[in-house]
Amino acid sequence: MSSSHRPALLAAILVSTSFLHSVMASDKADRLFTLKVLPLLKDKCLGCHGGDKEDIKGDFSVAARSDLLRGGESGEPAVVPGKPAESTLLQAIKWENLEMPPKENDRLNDAQVQLIEQWIELEAPWPDEATQQRFRDEEAMAALTDEGQLVATSGGTSQEWSNRRYLPEDLWAFMPVKPVTELLPEDLPREEAIDYFINSKLAAAGLTSSPAAEPAQLIRRATLDLTGLPPTPDDCDRFVNAYSQNPESAWKQLIDRLLASPQYGEHWGRHWLDVTRYADTGGMSNDYERSNMWRYRDYVIRSFNADKPYNEFIVEQLAGDELADESVSRRTGQTNMEDVRLNGNYNQQESEWLIATGFLRLGPWDNAMVEADEARQIYLDDLVNITGQTFLAQTMRCCKCHDHKFDPLPTRDYYRIYAAFSTTHMAERPVPFLPQEDRSLFAASKSHVNRMLQFAVAEKDKILAKQENAARQWYEENNLPYKTEDDRKNDPDEMKPPRYVGLDHVEQGQRKVREQDEWIWNRRLERYEPMAQSVYSAPSYNMAWNGARKLRIQRQKAGDTSPETHILLGGALTALGDQVLPGVLSAISLPANNNGRDPFALTEEVSGRRLGMARWIADPSNPLTTRSIVNRIWQYHFGRAIAANANNFGAKGAKPTHPELLDYLAGDFVQAGWSIKSMHRLIMMSDVYRRDASPLPNTSFNEVDPTNALLSHFPRRRLTAEELRDSILAATGELVHCSGGLPIMPEMNMEVALQPRMIQFSLAPAYQPSPTPQLRNRRSIYAYQVRGQADPFTELFNQPNPNESCEMRETAAVTPQAFTLLNSDQMTDRSIAMALRLQAEQQQLEDQIQLAFRLILSRKATGSETERLIRYVTEMTEYHQQSTPTTVDYPTSITRSLVEEFSGETFDYEEILPGFENYTSDKKPGDVTAATRGLADMCLLLFNTNEFMFVE
Amino acid sequence: MMNGVRRSFLYGLGASLGSIAFSSLLRGDEATAPLALKRPMHPAKAKNVILLFMEGGPGQMDTFDPKPELTRLHKQESKLAFGQENGFKFFVGSPFKFRTVGSNGIEMCDQWQHLADPYIADELCNYRGCQAESLNHPEALFHMNTGSRLGGDPALGAWVNYGLGTVNQNLPGYVVMTELALPQGGPTNWSNGFLPPHFQGTRLRPQGSPILDLTPQSYKSREHQRRALDELAWLNQQHLQSLAEEDAKLQARMQSYELAYRMQSEVPGVIDLSTESQHTQDLYGLDDPETQVFGRQCLMARRLVENGVRFVQIFSGGWDSHDYLQRGHTARIKSVDKPIAALIRDLKQRGMLEDTLVIWTGEFGRTPDNNKRGGVYSLGRGHNNKGMTMLLAGGGVRPGIVGATDELGSSAVECVHPIRDLHVTLLHLLGLDDNKLTYFHGGRFKQLSQFGGEVIREIVA
Repeated sequence: MSSSHRPALLAAILVSTSFLHSVMASDKADRLFTLKVLPLLKDKCLGCHGGDKEDIKGDFSVAARSDLLRGGESGEPAVVPGKPAESTLLQAIKWENLEMPPKENDRLNDAQVQLIEQWIELEAPWPDEATQQRFRDEEAMAALTDEGQLVATSGGTSQEWSNRRYLPEDLWAFMPVKPVTELLPEDLPREEAIDYFINSKLAAAGLTSSPAAEPAQLIRRATLDLTGLPPTPDDCDRFVNAYSQNPESAWKQLIDRLLASPQYGEHWGRHWLDVTRYADTGGMSNDYERSNMWRYRDYVIRSFNADKPYNEFIVEQLAGDELADESVSRRTGQTNMEDVRLNGNYNQQESEWLIATGFLRLGPWDNAMVEADEARQIYLDDLVNITGQTFLAQTMRCCKCHDHKFDPLPTRDYYRIYAAFSTTHMAERPVPFLPQEDRSLFAASKSHVNRMLQFAVAEKDKILAKQENAARQWYEENNLPYKTEDDRKNDPDEMKPPRYVGLDHVEQGQRKVREQDEWIWNRRLERYEPMAQSVYSAPSYNMAWNGARKLRIQRQKAGDTSPETHILLGGALTALGDQVLPGVLSAISLPANNNGRDPFALTEEVSGRRLGMARWIADPSNPLTTRSIVNRIWQYHFGRAIAANANNFGAKGAKPTHPELLDYLAGDFVQAGWSIKSMHRLIMMSDVYRRDASPLPNTSFNEVDPTNALLSHFPRRRLTAEELRDSILAATGELVHCSGGLPIMPEMNMEVALQPRMIQFSLAPAYQPSPTPQLRNRRSIYAYQVRGQADPFTELFNQPNPNESCEMRETAAVTPQAFTLLNSDQMTDRSIAMALRLQAEQQQLEDQIQLAFRLILSRKATGSETERLIRYVTEMTEYHQQSTPTTVDYPTSITRSLVEEFSGETFDYEEILPGFENYTSDKKPGDVTAATRGLADMCLLLFNTNEFMFVE
Repeated sequence: MMNGVRRSFLYGLGASLGSIAFSSLLRGDEATAPLALKRPMHPAKAKNVILLFMEGGPGQMDTFDPKPELTRLHKQESKLAFGQENGFKFFVGSPFKFRTVGSNGIEMCDQWQHLADPYIADELCNYRGCQAESLNHPEALFHMNTGSRLGGDPALGAWVNYGLGTVNQNLPGYVVMTELALPQGGPTNWSNGFLPPHFQGTRLRPQGSPILDLTPQSYKSREHQRRALDELAWLNQQHLQSLAEEDAKLQARMQSYELAYRMQSEVPGVIDLSTESQHTQDLYGLDDPETQVFGRQCLMARRLVENGVRFVQIFSGGWDSHDYLQRGHTARIKSVDKPIAALIRDLKQRGMLEDTLVIWTGEFGRTPDNNKRGGVYSLGRGHNNKGMTMLLAGGGVRPGIVGATDELGSSAVECVHPIRDLHVTLLHLLGLDDNKLTYFHGGRFKQLSQFGGEVIREIVA
């Protein structure tokens, strides 16, 4: 609470009637009088001068301003406003002519005298009782007492909440970031800061840190950490060699090289997608595809690779469309703004901004069977919540129903942010493709979609033809003229054939499936349109009952007005509390505007609310924002954050283990231009990052710091699902680098791929892997993410469910992971590919084993390992002389079964899988020799080792 | 955390990790054995749960809650409002006749032939007071299964295993069986949510491999796998020994391979129904194509519970009768009637029913009325979040009818409770207190009921 603007702000916020007061100099003087001068007068003077009306010494009273102006028996005014030198009161308390108060013990000290002098200088105001009370109330609140700290906010729904006290240690995140000068000894260079903070704590705990890791470990650690891929054997050799010459420069060059590699953005972009919940579909009952969501994914990757300043990254994702609107109006004038929106006439920069707002479209949402206002609430609540978690590390959802139980977040603030989003509407917007967006897969993908569409239409037409033949016959038999199904819809029952006339229950079911398929595939043709999943600001949106199907920007009608936002008590749409206007969080006392009246208010215009909020979030003095991002970066480097709940800096989140380090990093981050790459360098150049992954033996580590929170050694971490898959593909040599674009479909467990999956009214189409290894073996971040159908492999290794923001991934070892790593088709295929690579590159078994160790574990095999594995491979090769792998058939069509909703009876239908017609499959165990299978058995083991699964 | 470390010499070639893993499981060491047995919080009436989930939402007035008034109003206009539905609506009388069965006043439509046997019916509690919230399938499924409409929270079975652990460490503690098609919302319905991944429901698949990748590739024998595991243990042991200090994470992962190996040998035996007598197979309807699918799953459920699986859930789809109600519900009831009766009879005869809680429910109920479809008086029902019906049996449940819906079946009117109270009651029967069974996530201690609820005392014996 030391920041200088706080007292003025407190005055403005605390008392609701005071919002009209402007924060001006007179306020300062009034405050000075109430809190400092008046208590002095009462304490030091009033006893003799005015406390007892019957007995006023020297006919001089200090009970009122008029008394002071008049003065005492001398006739001279005691106080001359604005002129301390002429005020006898001041002379008296300075003991210059009179000596007041007369007793030495009561005499005012210099500071107290100065306060009175200052007050006289400021025209000696004497505010009325109510104003005084206001200042006193406020002071009472700002004070830290034994019961805790008060926090000024926009106010809770009860006085008790507004006035409640917090443990100061629970408020760490809301405090301003401490300046570097307060944190570090003056002569300490920036490069040593991290080690200074970490080592001080270790020293205090009496722990010795581990020495630097071996160079071979360091390069594996750094490469996986920055790119999500293992280093190649050549990379390792070069680095180990350079390291032996000059460790510092070798290490620095390695980091620079990795940061410059395009794989960096793919890996760190994935971290961001965990937090923001990326998926290619919308989830819920229909799990509609959100066509072109990949444009947001690629935007994120581009941004990381370009080291886009984080403050810009924030504003673009939260309000890129409003940036584009501003830019368009600068370019064209205001007049045809709406036409530009509808036609998508955007330049490249504007397009990029619009793509960035995909962030606001990442939550699961579908309004089928949900009341309109409730569906809207679900969306807006999602925005408030995800914005709080992502950028501010705040759990806003708690305040949907009530003032926050633990943190200084009133429900009012939740609804002010809700109001800031209340003019935000989902839309698939026309946005031209950018030159850097890869569209090379469009043609092939489109022809596949057309094929599926044509099949569905042809099948549907067959059934309809049969039905209408029967209908014609019915009309004939009833001597009525034939009417089409559409035309007869509203005829009375006896004037038209029965529904589904001529169709048995199988055909009835099939008809529905084909109709669903028709529009599913029709809709997927949108993939090839210049469209982005985005939002736009408008007063209102006319949402269809099945709105999630098609969300297009709507032309506004004249007279549309923005919705009013009220606090919803208990989160219930019917329980309206106070009306609120758009605004931001009040607890960190960072104003969102300069007008002083309501410092946390955002514009009430339809447009610009999100932009204002985004800029407030991206303000360099927003301590939540800056701490949150550096905390996340630290977490991905060390496997644990400084404040361990990266989405929750509240009282119930974990406290920072190194609060000063966190503040230091936050300050440094802003100073370095919000550069994430600069933060990587700072962290990775530290000694603590380079430590060995084991604690020193025989230290008190187990007793003092069993969780390694103090980082005496580098925390070992398990590979993420994507790192695992990508690293295996890299080792086998199958990994294909690309520049993004349409999602690709890796092979997944065939049972799951073809597993029927209910969607509303029907079954979702089967999962068909991409037809060539070139496509399938792209990095995992480019894989199609279906909310209703997770890839069992990546899911098993804890790729997060995209319905919830994931602050940190689970890494627990569960039994099914062992099943998959040992037995799955995918792992079997990779082990064969690995064996084939080894055989292609080396002739002798021993050399093949050595190469396998280098490719998979980034090290040489030891003598005993080689010896043992030679024996193993030899014996397994012998075993495989007799083994008979089955051949693998990829079906080009399958029969589906579904229970018909109307009849409760099961019916079958055929689904085509044209993806398998010209399918380039991976080499299977049956396609290779016993020797290859034997070698593959060893490769599979290496992929299963702890050493491979963990980064050390 | 580190107590297993010093015994690392045991991990050599051929030495199965099993004994070590198992002893730490018995100790209840949460770091290495999150599924270890835990004591209930208060004396439990039930130890296991078999949840029979009728996806789509059976009609209360077409199964266990007769509404003669609807028959009278059949095809007359209805002005009831549910969700977004609009346009002309008309009442739909149930196509089925009802009768009272057994000695507790339980009512059933005439399609229930096997449940009507007093030996079964007298075990049943028919609860009519529950109210859902959502009107759409996936949200309502999520709500009934996870306590939250949004999906992503832990499922009931995950919470129960979190609270009690499981008896047989060689089998998953929470097993889910579905039809060939997954229900709407898919695996989110049996997710571990924010609980550790050990508590996720494991799906026993109706076709193909019962658990994904459970068995080695067909050209690799079990001996081949054992050999591979021994080599792997040796490689991991080499790595462990190269470290200055040992790491429990690495050891936990080594143990998971041995658990996997044991599960491989145990699962096929448990799911092999051929060891059941012909009489039992026929009892469950395995001889009839119409009851075979659900019958197999019910028999499997009994075997799983018998073998120490804590929570078994079976999904039966096709209850979403918006039209052709008579055909639809007739077929669906036929497919589950005999298997459920067999399950209850079997459990009862084996003395397992008293501590196995069997629940039959959908995600919501159905409306007394319907819209025209394609301009036709379609005899079906919409989704109803105000009234539904469910059965409970065994596990400390009091037999008889509890609660009531109004005379049209449109809304619960007696002993009315939201889903969260049902959840609290289920936990209560299992000896768990919803307010104490919490897990810290997302800024607060979360619980199945979200914000607390009350036990439905009328259900508890």
